[in-house]
Amino acid sequence: MNLRVVGANLIVSIKSFYREKTAMFFTIAFPIILILVFGALFMNQDNMSFDLCVQDLDYTGSSAQLVKTLELDGKFKVIKLDPAINAAQYTRNNKLNLVLMIPKGYEGSFLQRMALNEPNASVTLTYFYDPSSISVFMKMQILNSVFAGINQNMSGNPPFIRSVETSALAKKYRFVDLFIPGIIAMSVMTLSLFGTVNVNTELRQKGVIRKLSTTPITRTDWILSNILYQFIVAVISTIAMLLVSYAVFRVRLQINAWLPLFIVLDVFAFVGIGMILTRFVKEAQSAAAAANAISFPMMFLSGSFFPLEMMPGFMRTIARILPLYYVNEGLRASMVFDDQMAALRYSAIIGVFAAVVFILGIIATKWEEVR
Amino acid sequence: MTKEAEHTIEVEKLTKRYGELLAVNDISFNVRKGEVFALLGPNGAGKTTTVEIIDTIRTPTSGKVTLLGMDVTKKKHDIVPRIGVLPQGFSSFDRITVRETLQYYSRLFCRMNTDIDGLIGLVNLKDKTKEQYKNLSGGLKQRLGIAIALVNDPEVVFLDEPTTGLDPRARREVWKVLLSLKKRGKTVFLTTHYMEEAELLADTVAIISKGKIIAMGSPEVLIESNANYLVLTLRPVDEKVLKIVRKMGFEPVHDNHKDIKVTVEHTDDVRKMLNTIKDAGASLLSLDVRKPNLEEVFLKLTGEALSNDPAGEVAE
Repeated sequence: MNLRVVGANLIVSIKSFYREKTAMFFTIAFPIILILVFGALFMNQDNMSFDLCVQDLDYTGSSAQLVKTLELDGKFKVIKLDPAINAAQYTRNNKLNLVLMIPKGYEGSFLQRMALNEPNASVTLTYFYDPSSISVFMKMQILNSVFAGINQNMSGNPPFIRSVETSALAKKYRFVDLFIPGIIAMSVMTLSLFGTVNVNTELRQKGVIRKLSTTPITRTDWILSNILYQFIVAVISTIAMLLVSYAVFRVRLQINAWLPLFIVLDVFAFVGIGMILTRFVKEAQSAAAAANAISFPMMFLSGSFFPLEMMPGFMRTIARILPLYYVNEGLRASMVFDDQMAALRYSAIIGVFAAVVFILGIIATKWEEVR
Repeated sequence: MTKEAEHTIEVEKLTKRYGELLAVNDISFNVRKGEVFALLGPNGAGKTTTVEIIDTIRTPTSGKVTLLGMDVTKKKHDIVPRIGVLPQGFSSFDRITVRETLQYYSRLFCRMNTDIDGLIGLVNLKDKTKEQYKNLSGGLKQRLGIAIALVNDPEVVFLDEPTTGLDPRARREVWKVLLSLKKRGKTVFLTTHYMEEAELLADTVAIISKGKIIAMGSPEVLIESNANYLVLTLRPVDEKVLKIVRKMGFEPVHDNHKDIKVTVEHTDDVRKMLNTIKDAGASLLSLDVRKPNLEEVFLKLTGEALSNDPAGEVAE
């Protein structure tokens, strides 16, 4: 290994990256865009509020009180509909996913039950809904729970089963706090994998590798400079992501020695996979497709975006054999939960994986006879 | 002088197979120190495979290749710092400038004192030093490739088809650079399918066809020994001349719309033909007598044309 040669190669890679402005912008901007979009979507998950169209055909003090109850805890922002219009027709025409209709006679039935103690007096509220809508069932579920509460209050008996929420964690974490380590892991993976595959296949296809094979640069020099370059790009990207996360979402993450360690292991693991891919895929375009085929399932299945609990059982098993899962969980353990033992465990697993694929990558990298 | 000192390259019974394909078939030759050696042949003849085995990019199937007194299959790391290579279809890093590219390759050879400006001057790229590689024309890229091949002041320079794909003007520019290399006394191993290139630059030409070397020697010797005839080009006023020449027993062929080409064995034949034309009252607009060139030698030896792409005029 010759450090002067490694340095020369590193300078060329960094200059090429810096001068390719569009590629540089997207390399840094893509994970930031993901953070901004997902962070904004889920930042106020606890205070989520839905629009709810209500048609009050009764138009009495009692029905108005019911509407007020729906608005009470902020779950719904009520939009009142004219009683004269056809609710079903209106729902269809205006592409609404739910209209709640309070029927005429609501107050009469209410008084019968409350004042006259008539047990059979009841009222039926109608949901006009679009079953193809994803959020409509959540809205109906919330409405049902509000109505169940009202029914229970009217019965006058205290509830038998009660529940109390106590967080098992020392402090309350927001979605965005858990999301950022996943995005860092995913970004470093894509940078290392695509960086290795694209650069190597392109240079091989153009004949640059063949020219380099007639110089004293060795395979080790080349691979080491590639690793260093990927690590520098990964660090720049991670710093940019963290700055945006702190500035926009005020995330509460712990930055310690585990972060660079997991970045290094992430880089080694996916540069190794990239080197193995480069060996078997000849054309630059097919290499990018192959890298996509590996990275896309990995980013969705390994819990970078979604909690693993949302997945069916067999997919959770799959997640546990994916290397990115251990980087995700390791970064969360160190940056969010401050769980040193878990971080150590995850780093050991991804460390062994990185070592194995990196050695295989070195073996797979052909340097001398390139065709 | 010992054999090793005299011969920079020694190739002995070299064979290379790619599966069923026999790319190089049991060839042997030597390259003397300080000479320009051209391996001439059409596409697919085995030129690149041969040069890439000698300059250590590839490994042979069998045979022995010695470069600078060392076995190329065993001493790659000792050989590489002492040679310069312009591989076929050379390319470099798109966004790196001419000067930076030369500095980069110089660092790969761990050379602290490479005369980058001297190299830039040699390949005439002084006004392009800050230009990125991707913005250079084909000819400029090749000239930069030649400069890169010289960053380590090599004892032997390998140039694999240095002018293929270039227009005639760019090709002449590259030839100028190669002629200056020749003047510096470098041992140059050149592969080409352009006749003019080999004739202009090479001290020794080896003609390769279908993996075999079929003739070797200086261009003059090759022509002398393989094409012992004269080529007469006549531009007649009318069709009468063609009939006269045929009647004399020669086999004239139309060279283009206006000229007739006749192959004759002796200068006497030329005199006889001109007298007969004059006696018959026919006349000529022009007349040219010349020795055959390498193209014709190649055609005679292999029965196939070297290249459909004319190399263009020689610079001088």
